[in-house]
Amino acid sequence: MENEYPTLHGIGNMKMEKHPIPALGPHDVLLKMSKVGICGSDLALVYKGRQGDFVPPFPMGLCHEASGVVVQCGPKVKHLEVGDKVAVEPGGPCRVCSFCKSGKYNNCPDACFHAGPSPIPGCLARYFKHTADLCFKLPDNVSLEEGAIIEPLSVGIHACRRANVTLGSSVLICGAGPVGLVCLLSAKAMGATNILVTDIRQNRLQTAKKMGANDTLLVKTETPEDLAKKVAEVIGCQPEITLECSGAESSIRTGIFATRSSGTVVLVGIGNPEVKLPIVNAAVREVDIKGVYRYIDYYPIAIDMIAKGLVDVKPLITHTFAFEDYKKAFELCKTAEDGVIKCMISCD
Amino acid sequence: MSSDNLSAVLYAKNDLRLENRPIPEPGPNEVLLRMAQVGICGSDVSYLTKGFIGDFVVKAPMVLGHEAAGVVAKCGANVKHLKPGDRVAIEPGIPCRMCDFCKGGKYNLCPDVFFCATPPDHGNLCRYYKHAADFCYKLPDHVSLEEGAILEPLSVGVHACRRAGVTLGSKVLICGAGPIGLVNLLTAKAMGATSVCITDIAENRLQVAKEMGADHTLLVSTGDAEALAKEIKELLGDMPDITIECSGAEPSIRLGIFATKSGGMMVLVGLGPPEVKIPIVNAAVREVDIRGIFRYANCYPLALDMIASGKVNVKPLITHRFKLEESAKAFETARTGAGGAIKVMISCE
Repeated sequence: MENEYPTLHGIGNMKMEKHPIPALGPHDVLLKMSKVGICGSDLALVYKGRQGDFVPPFPMGLCHEASGVVVQCGPKVKHLEVGDKVAVEPGGPCRVCSFCKSGKYNNCPDACFHAGPSPIPGCLARYFKHTADLCFKLPDNVSLEEGAIIEPLSVGIHACRRANVTLGSSVLICGAGPVGLVCLLSAKAMGATNILVTDIRQNRLQTAKKMGANDTLLVKTETPEDLAKKVAEVIGCQPEITLECSGAESSIRTGIFATRSSGTVVLVGIGNPEVKLPIVNAAVREVDIKGVYRYIDYYPIAIDMIAKGLVDVKPLITHTFAFEDYKKAFELCKTAEDGVIKCMISCD
Repeated sequence: MSSDNLSAVLYAKNDLRLENRPIPEPGPNEVLLRMAQVGICGSDVSYLTKGFIGDFVVKAPMVLGHEAAGVVAKCGANVKHLKPGDRVAIEPGIPCRMCDFCKGGKYNLCPDVFFCATPPDHGNLCRYYKHAADFCYKLPDHVSLEEGAILEPLSVGVHACRRAGVTLGSKVLICGAGPIGLVNLLTAKAMGATSVCITDIAENRLQVAKEMGADHTLLVSTGDAEALAKEIKELLGDMPDITIECSGAEPSIRLGIFATKSGGMMVLVGLGPPEVKIPIVNAAVREVDIRGIFRYANCYPLALDMIASGKVNVKPLITHRFKLEESAKAFETARTGAGGAIKVMISCE
């Protein structure tokens, strides 16, 4: 058996390569990869050579939203067996630092991450070795495609948790791309009753409406202050929570102006490293500004939400490509044309 | 009771007049106070020198003063917990009590709050003043009226440290060693912070901070925030979990973001330019939360307890004293910070 996977050597420079399959440690499993999704951060790494402040050391692997089938188990692996379908939680927290030991392994400064600072292959590969405790078995009624959506869905859950979304919450979601949509699904599942989604594109708002947004609002050329007023008019009150999913400065500003005093703005989208913000407005109204980074053990919840029918993630998957056509998948996602939301690459 | 209610009234920017005003009659739930001590705050100085703060504009004559203590002169019919002669600290904001914020315990955010010396509401830098009795807190015998007046800024420190989650073992960075930085220092240490580093651009302020319990001090300029953040990590032995930013200055807010540990908290107490350029992605991906504060809610009782129990000593904060008749000089001292002024106190007796 030989492994085959694309490697990123520089901006826009992806090459398919063959490599030996790595040996397993006692707690590892080997997965035959099935479905892999492309994320905005993957696009940033491939086409800009950076994501936020992070500049990767080339060469590096690609993609981190994935599912696969167990083909081999290390001797200490108890909860998985060969043939199990799993969702892959990417990353490798160090497990020994104070963050890891206090339940905040997402903040571990030494975590490796596939399609992050990593000399090991990303999830976009024929085979992938991973620690078994970060592979989660999918029940029969959850497909491998849905398994690859668990990663972004977990981002949505983490964002809603950090925002304290709960029964009755009024929520503004800025941006109806894949991140905005998983936040929408999570917020609804957590009991938010008043969700308004904004975007600069009408077709994305239509999808948001179908996926459960109570209201949508098309953003045109208004100032953030005026847009904030419109938001309050549409919802009937100022939202307690804003989930900002675009990273755009104007949108973060809108979120701050729109959010009710003592509310929270959660920054999910990553944009320019530096932004100009109306900080006194946020401060004197006690509108908290919180970022999110990945997730903390939400895979079981995310899988359960899908298995029990609490969320339907299938409408997110709009395009599928064969493994050999991975470059076409990246190109399509980059253009964001053809109504693409989540693009899957089939590795099997 | 004399009819002398000499009051310090701001007519317009830079137009402060001392004049007599009628002595108010307390309502059933109010007390009439013979004012004793009133401290000057940076916001009072702003109204005097600029005539506005943000959207609050001085459009009509307004009595100044909101950090105050006095003696009960008369009680309204329903007042049970106070009697004439009681010495009290006065919490200056009276909320509507009926809106969602008030009913949810966040009365500091009440949009219809009455607040002393925020236009158009009158303050209490005068001889006689009436106030809702439940916002007047009786001082034990061993707590002075000056200390009673310091409860207001100390409550700002309590609210900030609570919102920041300061607790036993916290490592705290405080940016700015003016009166607000100092009350936060006192409060943080009282709440159990074991390591507090305080920064300022003035060496003499850092000296005072050291005397008041700062474990480390760092003189900063508007230089490289990331380099300063590294220096702070070295001083504290680790990145601080919490930063309490007390200056409002953009370089200082930037420093706070870079310095704070992942998963930590930065509380913005100082108010400066309405817009700042900040490294938001650094804060976001490291889950460094940014929270502002607005005044305080349910903090006076704790602040009083901190002083009464001897947990904090606020006396070193009071550096200059004037009489009501000398208000103009008092404000000038507060404005310039001359003579190492920290808190300027005006006696209205």
